[in-house]
Amino acid sequence: MTIDLRAWTLGASLCLIAIPVTAADTAAGQAKAKEICQACHGLDGNSATADYPKLGGQYPDYLAKALRDYKSGARKNPIMAGFAGALTAKDIDNVAAYYASQPPVLARKY
Amino acid sequence: MSRFAAFASLLLLMSASAAAQTPAPSAAPATAPAAPAAAAPPSGDPLKGREKTQMCEGCHGIEGWRTAFPEVYRVPKLGGQHEAYLVAALKAYKSGDRSHPSMRAIVGSLSDADIANLAAYYAKGGIQTASNK
Repeated sequence: MTIDLRAWTLGASLCLIAIPVTAADTAAGQAKAKEICQACHGLDGNSATADYPKLGGQYPDYLAKALRDYKSGARKNPIMAGFAGALTAKDIDNVAAYYASQPPVLARKY
Repeated sequence: MSRFAAFASLLLLMSASAAAQTPAPSAAPATAPAAPAAAAPPSGDPLKGREKTQMCEGCHGIEGWRTAFPEVYRVPKLGGQHEAYLVAALKAYKSGDRSHPSMRAIVGSLSDADIANLAAYYAKGGIQTASNK
């Protein structure tokens, strides 16, 4: 009986750990995008300026990785270091999920 | 005349990549780091770029392909991306500003012309939108 309870508690706590990792909030991501990203990348991620990559429909895990790398300095770009540095880990997941959910302007290759 | 045209397109290419890379430390003293790119006209040859895509397709040609090292995530979609951004991305791998091991190895074998051509190829591709038609 006690063993069952322990296993259950372990399982439940693993679920608690897993949930925040997967559940991104696209509405919160959009709010951040309006605040921080929109000026260059556009609200739908289809930037009009060639210097700024299009983000709409891009894979969210790639976008989040890029933001984490800008924040850590692993990817060097003075502009993005400033913006990504202002985002929390949760903001990053939300913003990535938001742009990934926008109508795709990108295709996987040609 | 054709030499002039070649020189002019070289200048455009330089200004585009200098603007795209923003830090512009010691680069391009002649073309000045000023004015954010007047959206330089495409300079690469997409047909030549297509000949170089064998190295890219193993990852970027497979939908949802994931990297294995050093971090796992889906490799980015490239089709329809801005040409100047693609050039800047490849050059950042070359300079070490971006660090992915596979990309660094591959880009080491590319000349500046290859980079321009590949960027043109991928920028032309993808879903046709008003901006990449």
